[in-house]
Amino acid sequence: MANAGGMTVDGDLMRYTEYSPKTSVRSDAEIDRQLVSTCFKYLGLLCRYAFHLWKPLGQVFSETVKKMPSSTFSSYYKGGFEQKMSKREASLILGISPASTKAKVREAHRRIMVLNHPDKGGSPYLAAKINEAKDLLDKETRR
Amino acid sequence: MGVQVVGRAFARALRQEYAASQAAAQARGRSGQESAAASSITGISLQEAQQILNISKLSPEEIQKNYEHLFKVNDKSVGGSFYLQSKVVRAKERLDEELSIQKKEEKQQSQQNTET
Repeated sequence: MANAGGMTVDGDLMRYTEYSPKTSVRSDAEIDRQLVSTCFKYLGLLCRYAFHLWKPLGQVFSETVKKMPSSTFSSYYKGGFEQKMSKREASLILGISPASTKAKVREAHRRIMVLNHPDKGGSPYLAAKINEAKDLLDKETRR
Repeated sequence: MGVQVVGRAFARALRQEYAASQAAAQARGRSGQESAAASSITGISLQEAQQILNISKLSPEEIQKNYEHLFKVNDKSVGGSFYLQSKVVRAKERLDEELSIQKKEEKQQSQQNTET
């Protein structure tokens, strides 16, 4: 009986020694899972704080942008006029969509021409470009 | 003896004249190169910039006056075309660049003159 007890003890011990490596492996996975979960928890906290902080940050950002010289952030079109005027450039000059009707083209041309009239201090070159734009769009539009 | 003196002085004058003309040509060539470089970088030529702002000679006051008028007139808020306003801005930038190139060239020339 003692033997049996001893053997079971041994058996238990054996079982324990067998199990111990497995538990250590499991604990590694556990650790990884715990790490990942804490990471996510902090990420979530960060996102929540970001939402709270973003609006004032955004305001600060836009204010600094306004204070900076506007030339560095200007979105003006680059370069001079194209060598040969395209329909796209013509529509940009008149400030209308390339698929405008003849009436819209006429109205836009009149408006832009009044603003840039050479007799009122406008530049003759720009006036010529505006006329060229209107002629091109008139030729291209069907309606 | 007198002829020799005159001859020598004449030769010296000729040499100086030649050197001066070479230097002037070099300076002009340099500024021409810079101007061409500025045109290719900005994508707008000096001539076009002058035409856009309706400028005959490069005077800063005339450039500024025309620029301000054309910029105001083509503002989007009064129904102008942003594209035209952009071209006005780029023309002014190009003319400002040209003025700074000219100023640099003048300074170089005056330095050369003080050296010779």
